[in-house]
Amino acid sequence: MNEYDEKWEERINALLDGELSADDAERLKAEASDDRELARAIVEAYQLQKAMDEVKVERAPASLSKRLNAIPREHSKARTFSFLQPRWAMALAAIPLVVITLSLMQPDTPSASEIAKARQEMAIAFAYLDKANAITSREIESSVGHTLADAVTGSVNRAIKSQNLNSKEKEA
Amino acid sequence: MSRKYRQWVKEYQDQAWTVARYILKDDQEAEDATQEAFVKLWHNQDSIDPKRVKPWLMKVTRNGCLDRLRRRRHNVEFDEAYMAGDVSGPMQGAAASEIGVWLRRAISGLKEPYRSLVVLRDINQHSYEEVAGMLELNLAQVKTYLHRARKQLREQLAEVRP
Repeated sequence: MNEYDEKWEERINALLDGELSADDAERLKAEASDDRELARAIVEAYQLQKAMDEVKVERAPASLSKRLNAIPREHSKARTFSFLQPRWAMALAAIPLVVITLSLMQPDTPSASEIAKARQEMAIAFAYLDKANAITSREIESSVGHTLADAVTGSVNRAIKSQNLNSKEKEA
Repeated sequence: MSRKYRQWVKEYQDQAWTVARYILKDDQEAEDATQEAFVKLWHNQDSIDPKRVKPWLMKVTRNGCLDRLRRRRHNVEFDEAYMAGDVSGPMQGAAASEIGVWLRRAISGLKEPYRSLVVLRDINQHSYEEVAGMLELNLAQVKTYLHRARKQLREQLAEVRP
């Protein structure tokens, strides 16, 4: 289609669309009387327009109407149960994960039974240390005398008492 | 909300169906495409200007149909049964005459965007401005392409006319 054709087409279509002014329409008709090609194009355009009148908007089939009218019911249901949609399902699934992660990040808080067991073990350990201290004291005494034995066992006793005190403070 | 939607179905289902059927040339697929467009309308109804529902719907319908065409493994431009003038069903009344059958086939045979332009403007009777909005073209492009489409149809019509 050349430029000349395009210009024709524009005017012919404007004529058919009723967009051409009365003067321009007359001018076009006058031109067509001298130009067989243009006259033929105008006639064909009118014929096409007339034929186009026979091609109407098609009526949607009943099956489609039924499907379209069911959309609010079906998709409102989907809205009601929207927590089942993937993004919500993912969010819900993430909750236990977050809880577990947070609980793992928390410092350990021992249970009552664990505390009781720890106390028991600590008492055994201190009893053992007391016993070991007494044996050590006797061995030092027998070998180097009473004064040095007191100095050694005294420092050990202080260390044990200090540990014991710290443990009690923590328990409190 | 549902009442408003039902009104839109009543007013626009035929036009959307017509667009889908001309583009896809397959009744079942045209139904599916039209339904998809209305599902989108239902979900987006709050964000669409009520005055722009019709052009919005036509645009979504057409785009959905074009997507379907692209997805088709074997994109057959002409459906043989359609070309043979199978006018059973809803089209029967609309294209009862021989020329109507012929023209319907000729429109279906146009390439895009010519086919959509003819359907939207000449069959659905949307304004040039509306068609421009639906096809995301400017007004001058709409007119030029439509002139070309009509010229093709006119030339074909001249060949078949006695």
